Amino acid sequence: MNLHIFEGFGSTMQEVAIALLPLAILFAVFHFVFLKLPPQRLIGITIGFLLAFLGLSLFLQGVHIGFMPFGEKMGNVLGGLSSKWLLIPIGFVIGFFAIYAEPAVAVMVEQAEKVSGGYIPEKLLLYTLSIGVGISVSLSMVRLIFGFSLWYFIIPGYIIAFVMARYVPKTFMTIAFDSGGVSTGPMTATFVLAMFTGIAGQIDGRDPLLDGFGMVAMVALAPILSVLTLGILYSRKEKSQYVSDGSRAEAHHYDR
Amino acid sequence: MNNIKETVLEVIYSILPIAIVITILQFTVIWLPMEAFVQFLIGVLFVGVGLTLFLLGVNVGLLPVGEMIGSALTKTKMIWVIVFFGFLLGAVVTFAEPDLRVLSSQIEDVSEGAIPQSILITSVAIGVGIFVALAMFRIVFNVPIIYLLGGGYALVFILAALAPNSFVPISFDAGGVTTGPLTVPFILALGVGVATVIRGKTASSDGFGLVGLASIGPILSVLILGVIYG
Repeated sequence: MNLHIFEGFGSTMQEVAIALLPLAILFAVFHFVFLKLPPQRLIGITIGFLLAFLGLSLFLQGVHIGFMPFGEKMGNVLGGLSSKWLLIPIGFVIGFFAIYAEPAVAVMVEQAEKVSGGYIPEKLLLYTLSIGVGISVSLSMVRLIFGFSLWYFIIPGYIIAFVMARYVPKTFMTIAFDSGGVSTGPMTATFVLAMFTGIAGQIDGRDPLLDGFGMVAMVALAPILSVLTLGILYSRKEKSQYVSDGSRAEAHHYDR
Repeated sequence: MNNIKETVLEVIYSILPIAIVITILQFTVIWLPMEAFVQFLIGVLFVGVGLTLFLLGVNVGLLPVGEMIGSALTKTKMIWVIVFFGFLLGAVVTFAEPDLRVLSSQIEDVSEGAIPQSILITSVAIGVGIFVALAMFRIVFNVPIIYLLGGGYALVFILAALAPNSFVPISFDAGGVTTGPLTVPFILALGVGVATVIRGKTASSDGFGLVGLASIGPILSVLILGVIYG
């Protein structure tokens, strides 16, 4: 067997180091000027940076040697299938679960639960994002099969988002727009994209590069809509609770 | 220790589903050579170990640092310091994002070399910087975020109508790609730090929205380049 496990690991580590460097320098500046942390905290934070560096390097290496080439080959096979409609459910399932493995998503849903004091449960937000991304990947497949323009999805999508944004609690709105950026991390932008361009290469009249970009644009839009939908469901629940609380209070009032 | 066990479990839950889905596809529909599949499984192992270390590191390193810098900035009580560092942070972090280099070479491809990499990277970094600075300004003065988002996207669609067609999908792609796995935790924590100092713990959800705003910057930058060069 001819395996390429550490191919390009050096340059991956270099990239991660370059990305982490400005944050480390900035922290050093702040430490000496403002924070002046005790040595113990400083050691803890340094270990944290090292772990993040090592972890992200390994993660990206795993995506590059495992997920990306496999995704592309998968795409070539899938694009050659005679029953193209199969791509639509497969796209949904891949999109749904790929977002689970996205590093920034894991951080964001945890922060959202923490900052909102448990008001928005981590798992619920994760499932909401997954459904959104699943739908967007399967819609991208529809677009690939029938060749619709991206505009028909993007313009109505953002218009609907801004209309919905008026009806949701503020926390949901900010988290919704954040999740668009968060969902398009290394898993989507490499693995799902590689699969997608693999498929596009097999279908006549598609430009793998441009259609691939279009898919990422859809993945950035869909979670905004799904989180806003969750927000509307939440505010309805709250309202009905408020009403029932109110009537209970009234009943109480009459008791006296 | 508890923290480590929890993180390991969390990672298993997040990686296993996609690995299982792909394994099922492999043995029902796609039937790729075993060699490729074994290499994929090794990749899954790397991704799992990597994600575990990364999340542990983020929790003890990036998140507390972002929050501390955010609150230290705010305690200076000088609005220009907060806004200036917002710009600097956004721009510098973006400059270092590896995905941006990949994107810039793809754009060079699509535009047939009309847009040089260095110009693209610089303008996207400035775009992110401006929007992070705006986001800081918004948190301090309590401007409703919907105005900034609405204005930003309105501008996006006007420019998209003017720019050559091939630039539109790339610009949206740029918006998503520039907010990578290092930028997101840092910027999230930074916003939470600033909001916590200004309006107390209860309003710290004001800190969200930074990533969303930061994504508009690159879209606008790429579209503007498209209008100029297209």
